[in-house]
Amino acid sequence: MEKGKISSLQMAFMLYPTIVATAILGIPSVTAKFAKTDFWMSPIFASFIGYLTVYLAVKLHKLYPGQTIIQYSEQIIGRWLGKIIGFLFLSFYIQVTGLIVREYAEFVVDSFLIDTPIIVVMASMVLLCAFVVHGGLEGLGRGALLFIPVFLIPQIILFILVFPDLEFKNIFPVLANGVMPPLKGSIVPGGWYTEFFLISFLLPFLVDKKKGMRYGMMTVFAVMATLVIVNLVVLFVLGPTTSSKVYPLMNVARYISFADFFEHMESFIMAIWVVGAFVKISVFFYATALGTAQWLKLTDYRPIVWPLGIFIVITGFWSISNSMDLERYNVNAFPFYGAVIQTLLPLLLLLIAMISNKNKKNKQSNTTDAPMK
Amino acid sequence: MIKERGRVTVREKVNRHKSISIILLLLLTIPFMSGCWDRVEINDLAIVTAASIDKKDDGSIELSIQVFIPKSISSGGGEGGPSQGAGGATTLVKSDVGSNLSEALSKLQGKVPRKVFWGHCKVFVFGEGLAKEGIQEQLDFLLRHPQPRERANVYVSKGKGKAILESLPPLENYSGEVIKELSDLHLGLRVTLHNLDEMLTGNSQAVALPFIKILPPAKGEAKLQGIPYIFGTALFERDKMTGTMTEKETRGLLWLKDDMESYTVTLKPEGIEGLISINPISSRVRIIPYIVNGNWRVSVKVDTEGTVIQNGTKLNLTVPKSLKIAERTYQKDVEKRIRLTLLHLQGNGDDVIGLAKEFYRKYPKQFSEAENDWERIFEEMEVEVDVTSHIRRQGYINKPAGLPEKEVKDR
Repeated sequence: MEKGKISSLQMAFMLYPTIVATAILGIPSVTAKFAKTDFWMSPIFASFIGYLTVYLAVKLHKLYPGQTIIQYSEQIIGRWLGKIIGFLFLSFYIQVTGLIVREYAEFVVDSFLIDTPIIVVMASMVLLCAFVVHGGLEGLGRGALLFIPVFLIPQIILFILVFPDLEFKNIFPVLANGVMPPLKGSIVPGGWYTEFFLISFLLPFLVDKKKGMRYGMMTVFAVMATLVIVNLVVLFVLGPTTSSKVYPLMNVARYISFADFFEHMESFIMAIWVVGAFVKISVFFYATALGTAQWLKLTDYRPIVWPLGIFIVITGFWSISNSMDLERYNVNAFPFYGAVIQTLLPLLLLLIAMISNKNKKNKQSNTTDAPMK
Repeated sequence: MIKERGRVTVREKVNRHKSISIILLLLLTIPFMSGCWDRVEINDLAIVTAASIDKKDDGSIELSIQVFIPKSISSGGGEGGPSQGAGGATTLVKSDVGSNLSEALSKLQGKVPRKVFWGHCKVFVFGEGLAKEGIQEQLDFLLRHPQPRERANVYVSKGKGKAILESLPPLENYSGEVIKELSDLHLGLRVTLHNLDEMLTGNSQAVALPFIKILPPAKGEAKLQGIPYIFGTALFERDKMTGTMTEKETRGLLWLKDDMESYTVTLKPEGIEGLISINPISSRVRIIPYIVNGNWRVSVKVDTEGTVIQNGTKLNLTVPKSLKIAERTYQKDVEKRIRLTLLHLQGNGDDVIGLAKEFYRKYPKQFSEAENDWERIFEEMEVEVDVTSHIRRQGYINKPAGLPEKEVKDR
């Protein structure tokens, strides 16, 4: 099905923007609503679910090498139940991809292309991503490698330029109301960390499979570090007003006035946003396309890329009526939805797989005298 | 052999098919490239340089915008400075009335042939009348709309804000620029839209904005050639203006906010004839809140360094004893200024220094409990002011100028 191969580094560079891209723009505000001045800690607490998710995906892949969750779920719990699990995953990924496209377009339309119909922004992005997905995993991996500087350098420049406006005292009081507020705040970013389960669709195609776990964990750490830094910068600039902003990082970029010369830096945010969203949507799209093809037992996933693309645009367009709805979905539904599908379900599968494997081993060693391997 | 040939042609056909489809797809993307809906040409924009919001007597909101006229700069520029009348003006002022800011704007748009663009508006002036009745409702527009910048400075004008925009200052191109430049000199408070938002949502619920008025034109200048300048501070309780502070008290506030940059402290040493002027070069202000036995206290520690820029006394500042006298006077003077401001603020219960925030940061629990009582606590609070002053440099001469050697004290 997929003949391309990627390196672990490419995998890491695909996953990093996939998580960070949409998490840096709006999430600080949501986290701040729960955690007040401690919201910079929330990504640290939330990252544990990321480590767990990567661990589960890698463990499952070790038991069933070369297969994705769509394939091995059938082996673990039987054909029909496996198909149901696969369907759950696919419907989840199609819907979430649609919502990511919507989220991307919502910001673009909100701040830059005010008069442009949102469907145009969504469709053109999905068209672009469809090309990449159609080109295969190798192209996607190389693209991610190529785009990572475009994603990282504007962030670094932004943080340097905003330095004079940082008020470090905003961090106080630390943990004024105990650990509960930042813990509550970590639920929403936790939803983003569960997206690390996408690694399950990439692991089968790694050249250096042994490094998969290490690079996966490193990516979780890098994402955590980035989110903590972004949250701190937002806190230092916006202080108590953070929770009232829809896109706090955008406000930070707009506030830059370095030497009366570097001003109006929102184009940096735009670069980060477009590139990040492009990689993110492509990776989700790829997982969806590959998964669907495997679920339907097709020989190739390329023919279904275009129809899926249309399907994704439509889900994004119709499942949410306005941007307030989208925010509510991101806060109230997604963290739990994402955690159930992408962390709890794999956890269950792994437990069942381990138990049944042990039983099998016991049976085999009981019936035949020959030792295993 | 033949087999291979056949295979090659099939592959070629596939390739040709592929390249045609790629070209077609590329052509398909062309309509998306132009971005037709949001195409904006610079000559379709009315660039707002300053805006003022006033309240009329009947309760409606009057929005005035100062719009930049591109023609005035592009045609040579050096037409002999500001000529009289509208001919030489680089901006024009338009205003309209509505029940709120955005309605006034939509009506105003009907009078301006280009699309109003807020992205470069660096000055927002609230008229005194509106400020007294509350600015929160109109502030919402400025923070919600994607164009106005959080970096823009906010002012309150004495009288109507529109008059500030209408003045045609001789030195700068337009009055918005004058106020912005004056703010950059740190002569008065400098408050951005974001600062305002932060003060309103913060713990102390008190706001201080620079208060501006027009300096009447000098003799021989045209009628509108007055210059707006910052002459004090407008104090707000929540979003309503409740009082003002004089220029002198504002300086004390600048000390407390650690925003002292460019003005001169002139002192009269005790028991000595003449005055010494000192330019504060650097200052470090620390505000330390304490709660001791339920008593809320604040200690203000100021560490400042200055340069002598005029010495009208007979003191020879190279002598340690005389320098001590000057330094002590400097210290006392700064302390006095800060106390004067504190007295005013505590008298009115306006915590514009942000002491509430400092207490919240250090004592979050106690503050949350006492939050409703904060105004009383602030008014009764004991404040220690502790100033350390150093005079570091004396300029190019080491004795009072033009004084015979024997008249200088403490040679």
